[in-house]
Amino acid sequence: MAKLAAQPPDSHRPSAILDTLRRLGFGAAIAVPDGWLGEILVRIEREPTIRLVRATHEEEALAIACGTRLGGLRTAMFVQNAGVLSMGAGMVSLAQRYQFPLLMLVSYRGTVDDPVFYHAPKGRVTEPVLKGFGLAYARTDPHRPIGPQVEQAATYAEEASCPFALLLSREDVQW
Amino acid sequence: MVNAARPSRADYYRVLADKLPANALVVTSLGNASYLWAAMHHAPENFYIEDAMGLALPLALGIAIAQSARPIIVVEGDGAVLMHLGSLVTVGAVGPDNLTILLIQNGVHAASGGQALTNPALDLAQLARSAGISRARNVATPEAFGSAMCSAPVAGGGAEVLVLSTEPDVEVVRPPIALDPVLTKHRFMSAIGAPRYIPTLFGGGRLERE
Repeated sequence: MAKLAAQPPDSHRPSAILDTLRRLGFGAAIAVPDGWLGEILVRIEREPTIRLVRATHEEEALAIACGTRLGGLRTAMFVQNAGVLSMGAGMVSLAQRYQFPLLMLVSYRGTVDDPVFYHAPKGRVTEPVLKGFGLAYARTDPHRPIGPQVEQAATYAEEASCPFALLLSREDVQW
Repeated sequence: MVNAARPSRADYYRVLADKLPANALVVTSLGNASYLWAAMHHAPENFYIEDAMGLALPLALGIAIAQSARPIIVVEGDGAVLMHLGSLVTVGAVGPDNLTILLIQNGVHAASGGQALTNPALDLAQLARSAGISRARNVATPEAFGSAMCSAPVAGGGAEVLVLSTEPDVEVVRPPIALDPVLTKHRFMSAIGAPRYIPTLFGGGRLERE
């Protein structure tokens, strides 16, 4: 992977995510919101060059994203980890079988930093399930700027021709 | 609605092949929806889905968004659409004028051997209208389907749904080509002139048109 351009630390990480998507030429964002993702989706909706589609279910969102990428738009998804758990069939039989490069930006709920009683069961199983899917993923590093991490995840998806899930903390994505 | 004497999928496909708009892209659902269409009208502009039941419609919606200047036609089954009814709501909300949805209503899960649907007699056109797709109607004959395919798109009218009352076809059609998924994808993307990713090794890291 080529060396990424040095960037100053980002003080507002959600803004840096949006800036990075804009800079990399993303043309579509397919989303199912949660409490952390709500505001960044509103901001994306105002972007003239990124088409936001609000899907009703994450597996449906995955298929729409495959379609926009197939049609020639670089595509990101915004979903909660619960949604990744529920999109398994589409992940393996469509996105991975047809080798669609997709950047999946996933709000990672139910971790030790987000110990909400009803999110915790999802947080506990998320990474083992992603490994079970064979889905490439990474957790963001809170000590590094988020922009380059998003760029590296997007690059991985394209160069490896597969979906890549970047697991985001509240500080990363909640506006 | 499902009628007593119904045309076959091939009857409708003959009309579709004859009336296919110029520059149209066709997405077909799993099973004979893809196999028969490949046998009757194989073209690089076809995107064949194998498995991934219920995801042909949302995938076609994505193509319709990305390729807004071209007509997109998707063939989906009644069983498949019941698996992702929310897709109809999303199509209704997005409202792409260039998307035509052909719903094969045969009352069974034909691709998996003809098992009964949860409700084989739903008025799927009414369901689509309730989901926000105003241009939705039931079609019972190939002639009526041909007339519908000849009608001009309505600017600002959103997607169109044609529910085709069809006899089940559970005998698997052998496709004339290997439906390799990655080959299907690359052939389709090449046919539409989609930009390709230039790897970082070659100074890219971006999608670029040839």
